Amino acid sequence: MNTRSITAPQRSVAGLPMGALAAGLGFGCVALIPLLMDDPFLIHSLIMVLFFAYMASAWNFLCGYVGQLSLGHAMFSGVGGYVSVLMFTQLGLSPWIGMLFGGLLAAALSVLIGYPTFRLKGPYFTLTTIAFAEIVRIWVENTNDFIGVPLKGAEGLVVPAAGDSLWAFQFSSKTPYFYIILVMLVLVMLATRLMERSKLGYCLKAVRGDRDAAEALGINPTPSTLTALAISAFMTALGGSFYAQFFRYINPERNMGLELSIDMAVMTIIGGQGTVAGPLLGALILTPISEMARGHLGGGLPGLHLVVYGLVLMACVLYFPKGAIAPLGRLVRRLTDRRGSRP
Amino acid sequence: MTTPILEVRGISKRFGGVQAVKDLSFTVGKGEILGLLGPNGAGKTTAFNMIAGFLRPDAGTVLLDGINIAGKRPWDVCKAGIARTFQLSKPFGDLNVIENLMVGGFCRTSDRGKIRERAEWMADFLGMGRQREAEANNLTAFDRRKLELGRALCTEPRLLLMDEVVAGATPSEASEMVELVRRIRGMGISVLIVEHVMKVIMSLSDRVVVLDYGELIADGEPQRVVAEPRVLKAYFGERYVQSRA
Repeated sequence: MNTRSITAPQRSVAGLPMGALAAGLGFGCVALIPLLMDDPFLIHSLIMVLFFAYMASAWNFLCGYVGQLSLGHAMFSGVGGYVSVLMFTQLGLSPWIGMLFGGLLAAALSVLIGYPTFRLKGPYFTLTTIAFAEIVRIWVENTNDFIGVPLKGAEGLVVPAAGDSLWAFQFSSKTPYFYIILVMLVLVMLATRLMERSKLGYCLKAVRGDRDAAEALGINPTPSTLTALAISAFMTALGGSFYAQFFRYINPERNMGLELSIDMAVMTIIGGQGTVAGPLLGALILTPISEMARGHLGGGLPGLHLVVYGLVLMACVLYFPKGAIAPLGRLVRRLTDRRGSRP
Repeated sequence: MTTPILEVRGISKRFGGVQAVKDLSFTVGKGEILGLLGPNGAGKTTAFNMIAGFLRPDAGTVLLDGINIAGKRPWDVCKAGIARTFQLSKPFGDLNVIENLMVGGFCRTSDRGKIRERAEWMADFLGMGRQREAEANNLTAFDRRKLELGRALCTEPRLLLMDEVVAGATPSEASEMVELVRRIRGMGISVLIVEHVMKVIMSLSDRVVVLDYGELIADGEPQRVVAEPRVLKAYFGERYVQSRA
């Protein structure tokens, strides 16, 4: 059965679809974790899983639905991060405001870059996105000062401590960060769900299916893809701002490097692109693997975690070409069908 | 002939050294089924693509209800009231039947409820009601063709362009398609059909036009046109015509 189906009849409990109910329960349980367990390492690890789930969902909003592989999304993350940090350090504005400005700037930049690049297909599109992102990263890495704004090149920027303050997006405990990224993830997943059922979602899926056929049905691919790209870039930039505030540090390699773009894409592909829950599942599978590989193997053999990534990706493409969400969805349906057929 | 819905006037298209279509003119009447015939390479699909907006004509005009649509992009042509199917069907493979049909509906409205309702009706109209939740990838080749036809109909066209819709179909499937096209005409939709299966063209078309080397060589009732020496020559060669004489 189609895992991407968005019109299949749904079971409901008290008027709420089963899927929404299960998601609500799941996120409710996750929200209880910091109240029940006070382990900073566990909370930090969960924040990383939620962060990558958020970033992969933002990537999936466009690339998963339109079927194009962008490996330049980290550029938007960097723009969001740098704008929020600079507005805080240079203008004294709250990072929350900087986050919005960063998002808007990333959206505008994405439209400028997307207009010529979305005419390209397949590997040409992917290579162009890498090229644009790398140009920006290398420029930032080699620029200490831009029209009086200190970027500090490869060294990066440190966010000055401002104490425990919601306004300054700084907390002494990790728990507030946990709840912020959890809310961000829920919002991006809701936005994806809404988009999926809207005209925009159908247009993107049609373009992914066959561009000529989509055009013959009255769909102009350019405005649809650019709209989704701008929203995706905006959300990615918000994630980048969160990352900078969480570590209170930003540099080009961490915040806008190719590795971050690969993480977003691979997590979505492994979880299930073009689905709401796929990126979350991908992050749940890959983030712990990545952390373990980095922690236990990375010291002796740098880059080994990327080999592990590659192996997981190969296994997934071979056995679950629609992502891990497909067999999981089948299992859930089988269980609910069995329960539903009981007298 | 009835009032024309489509008037093609002197369209031409050249690809490098090849003149694919040369000064082609014909009309399609309101509620008419017009067959577009010709041997392989005659320029039928090129003409089709120029009308549907996938190719820009080098010269000439294409009037839909008197408005020139030549050179417009495919999505604008669709919104103007022309829908098309493709020689090789192009379903959206990972969407199910209803979702495929719904994509067409967004051409006219954004009301998801209405679109869904029409898609459900269309699935029944196509005889695919029991497959409505089936993924397009899992359909047979003929069902994919029907699905593509239904998707085009969901755009609520005034003129439907059909490119070889019974290619590779079994005789019973071909009969089913002929019946479907008649019902589509019954809905007041004009049809321009490119087809190689003569049995289908002869039983369906009110009128046929024949192309050869990009030029119009015949236009008229099917029975008369297929007996014309120029048409026989185009399909079977000079010797065949001489042997019949």
